[in-house]
Amino acid sequence: MLKILVCVKQVPDVNLVKIDPVTGSLIRDGVPAIMNPLDGNALEAAVQLKETYGGEITAVTMGPDAAMSVLRECVSVGASKAILLSDYAFKDADTLSTSYTIEKGASMFGKYDIILCGKETLDGATGQMGSQLAERFNTSFVSSAALIEKVDEKAGTVTVLRETEYGEETVEAKLPVLMTIEKTNYQPRIPNFKGKKFARTFEITKLTSDTIEGLDKNKIGAPGSGTIVPRTYPPEKTASGVMIDEGDDKKNVAKVMEILADKGLV
Amino acid sequence: MANFHSVTPELAEQLKAIVGEKRFQYGDKVKEDYSHDEMPIYGKFPPEAVCEVESTEEVSAILKLCNDNNIPVTARGAGTSLTGASVPIHGGVVVCTARMNKILSYDIPNMAVTVQPGVLLQDLAADVDKQGLYYPPDPGSKTSTVGGNVATNAGGMRAVKYGSTRDYVLALTVVLANGEVMQLGKTVCKTSTGYSLLHLMIGSEGTLGIITEMTLKLVPKPAMNVSVLLPFERIEDCIATVPKIRIANLDPQSIEFMGIDIVNSSSDFTGKKIFPTTYNKKEVDASILVTFVGENEDELYEKMEKLDALAAECGAIDTLVIDTPTLKTDVWAARSAFLNAIEGDTKILDELDVVVPVDQIANYLAFVRSVGDEVGLTIRNFGHAGDGNLHIYACTNDLEFDEFWKRNKVLMAKCYTECKRIGGQLSGEHGIGHAKKEYLEESVGEVPYRLMKAIKALFDPNGILNPGKVCS
Amino acid sequence: MKKQDYKNMWVYIEHDGKTVSTVSLELCCEARKLCDVTGDKLVAVMVEGLPEAEVKKIRECAVDGLMVVSGTGYETYNNDAYTNLFTVLCQKYNPSAVFVGGTTNGRDFAPRFAARLNTGCTSDAIQVVYNPESGDIEFIEPAVGGKMMAVITVPVLRPQVGTIRPGTFKYEPTGEKANVEIIHETVNFDPAQSRTKLLKFVPEADDGSVNLAEEDVIVCIGNGVTGAEKLPKYQELAELLGGKVGGTRPMFDRGILPFKQMIGQSGVVVKPKLIISFGVSGAINHTAGIKDAGLFIAVNSDPEAAIFGVADYGIVGDMDEVCDLMIEALKAKQ
Repeated sequence: MLKILVCVKQVPDVNLVKIDPVTGSLIRDGVPAIMNPLDGNALEAAVQLKETYGGEITAVTMGPDAAMSVLRECVSVGASKAILLSDYAFKDADTLSTSYTIEKGASMFGKYDIILCGKETLDGATGQMGSQLAERFNTSFVSSAALIEKVDEKAGTVTVLRETEYGEETVEAKLPVLMTIEKTNYQPRIPNFKGKKFARTFEITKLTSDTIEGLDKNKIGAPGSGTIVPRTYPPEKTASGVMIDEGDDKKNVAKVMEILADKGLV
Repeated sequence: MANFHSVTPELAEQLKAIVGEKRFQYGDKVKEDYSHDEMPIYGKFPPEAVCEVESTEEVSAILKLCNDNNIPVTARGAGTSLTGASVPIHGGVVVCTARMNKILSYDIPNMAVTVQPGVLLQDLAADVDKQGLYYPPDPGSKTSTVGGNVATNAGGMRAVKYGSTRDYVLALTVVLANGEVMQLGKTVCKTSTGYSLLHLMIGSEGTLGIITEMTLKLVPKPAMNVSVLLPFERIEDCIATVPKIRIANLDPQSIEFMGIDIVNSSSDFTGKKIFPTTYNKKEVDASILVTFVGENEDELYEKMEKLDALAAECGAIDTLVIDTPTLKTDVWAARSAFLNAIEGDTKILDELDVVVPVDQIANYLAFVRSVGDEVGLTIRNFGHAGDGNLHIYACTNDLEFDEFWKRNKVLMAKCYTECKRIGGQLSGEHGIGHAKKEYLEESVGEVPYRLMKAIKALFDPNGILNPGKVCS
Repeated sequence: MKKQDYKNMWVYIEHDGKTVSTVSLELCCEARKLCDVTGDKLVAVMVEGLPEAEVKKIRECAVDGLMVVSGTGYETYNNDAYTNLFTVLCQKYNPSAVFVGGTTNGRDFAPRFAARLNTGCTSDAIQVVYNPESGDIEFIEPAVGGKMMAVITVPVLRPQVGTIRPGTFKYEPTGEKANVEIIHETVNFDPAQSRTKLLKFVPEADDGSVNLAEEDVIVCIGNGVTGAEKLPKYQELAELLGGKVGGTRPMFDRGILPFKQMIGQSGVVVKPKLIISFGVSGAINHTAGIKDAGLFIAVNSDPEAAIFGVADYGIVGDMDEVCDLMIEALKAKQ
């Protein structure tokens, strides 16, 4: 029976985040918190693995209490354990300390054969978590997995199709393995009502820096991070171009043709 | 009607004087957009002049001038009509209200908002939302103007619970054909004060007067919503579920119907497979998408629980819950792409916007398909199952226009006759325009049609307002 | 060890035994500028097996040193082998910074060896600046979907590891240095310890015709496009202009265009004489890939679209209609 861990994150829907034109700061009001979209593909891959090979799915996230909602999403489609790592001490963690914290927290409940996560998050977008989680869990690593072709529990291997800029690779990885999942073949399913109802009152395991066993408090949160963000600033506004508005599309296109002819491009 | 005068350069100068040079277009300066709406299949008719009006006074002056000179006047908002209603088929002047796009004032204690006709539906909805209130009508085209919505009594998906635009109009400022300005209605909850000219004006498609200001009713904003997808193996079971949901007092905001062919087109079109086509190893033939609004999660779960039980009895494969922001976005994007998806893989199409008794939906769809087979046109459809309003498309990819049109005429005539026979109406929410005009008399009956024409003559003795539309 | 005691900057040279990857050369050129400021030496680190003519290209980027690694385990890319290699080398030489091309493989192992070394790793910087006060490199990168720029540093730990996307920096070699130090290293990785194995490789189907990086004219489509069935008209327009069609990331995600026709930070960086974009919103991740374009015309139905702040000329309109009219106008000219 496969033990599957899926790592998810709650993120603000950054597409809806706006910048205050005066202060340059982010306006997050009314921006919904969602499960990181690519994590939804990882979750779907986990559910399909469970359907095909049998097994149990554990979901883990780090974040505030509100992040329980993304764990409930996991439970609604078949996760049977959900772990929330939540503590003020985890604040401002980069991938180095987050990967450490997640490994420590999730490993309290046993070992995992297959660990899945999204390729990158909508907000941080470093794309580093998969690689660093593989290091923390000491597993083989397959990034950009497009399709999990086969899991051979006896041989202790998984065969994976991988999309890269050079072409399509078929990779065999030893279990335990960590894979980051592409969206290509794993469109998240819509949960059914029974699953939603079950998830709604499901008891989520909440761990803090005090209750995670063997946690080195120097390795979590900001102190455990390798990187910091000393400052942010709004992107430079490039000089605005000329708007062509000659009355209607046809006249606009005629103007474009003039410009192209002027520059010798047609 | 044939005796309309054209807009001479002298008249053009007078029109220009009313709105100013910047907001006036004449002759070859008239933008091509004004010659059609979103169904150019019904022909393109350029206006002789366009006035982009900004006030009731301007509209009044233009109408007086045109009435005195026997020049047709067609009101236009965003031009998203689907019947040619905003197209000047007899030329003349187009009065475009797009610039009259101000939300003028809120009357919060009486839950009302006063707006100009050119406000876009999406802008109104967003602004009302900020006030913590709700404007329920939601016709498919979010970039249509609210003035246009009132003029066609537009519907939308939420009509199941909330009714159509008509139910949200409290008062109107209307300019009559001769330039007279009148106020209709008040910001009150009910009225029994003589004939309702207000309701006569709603849905009159610019043939009785031009609306220049509107006071609309608002309702409290529901705290949350959830959508539930019910996939079925058999389309008959799917549609038979609709009346049962209504009788079960679940009070859904909308019930949308989608057949497997449209789901497939939509997923090909958007590149995202959102709605399941097989589920639990069963082939999905048709689905309904039910949306509930409520004040808290408990209330919604209670409704979903009842629906889940009902759906199982009715043969639904499962009850799928769409309640996360991501799923809602994806599902509604897929739903909104239905028409685009049909247009995307169709060369020529015409549409029916009939509304039939809810229990007749399956029969009627089967009838239209059989006529489609008979005349050789492909039938595609989706629609508002909850209120019986069906959007059915007669499509072709290989016929030339003339041949298509010939077959289409046969199809439309048969389908409208059948619609009447089973107790349906010609149009649920798009209106008559000139596209459906020839079927109106048969649909409503001879006497009502005669009265409609008499009313039109009373309001607009010279027939200058949107000639050739509805019953004129 | 204090961070000041870590010296020199490394660039990992990715190659396939035949040619050196362009991103490695771009990183050498950019790291050269940093080293000129800090006084560090620039060392290119590569696994042996690259022909001399290609090595020459690296030298011409004014590297101070070339570290050539021999040993078992590097025949094909392998996460375990490369993670181990850089861990071992960094522990021995203590470089101040390691730059790795942000290719699929670079992004696969760089964060892992950074974690093994317990140091900080950044990705996708579009600018790197040395801050003499702190002694740290400032990795500047777009955040929150490009709505903010974030400065990221590794304030305490070393080396400072950064993966940088292809095309971010310019390949502008400044010439070979006189005394390039050659360092030979042998690091064996036991294949038995490798936990992944490449079973099969199918190269990206190459029709030989599309290499957007070399095209003079590009018609670029974005998420405004309603569906794949609209692609032919944009291809027709591109053909009439003598160019090719490219797209933004969502065009790949939606299966409308292949990966190699994706323009932007995570795709191809282009430098055409003319680019006309349709329905492209203008997220920085995309516009970073067209900053060196000549004439840039953008068509979008949203007058507020960010793309109009980047383009030379903008048209507010329906993308399909404008495209049709352009096709018509070009045909009329012929």
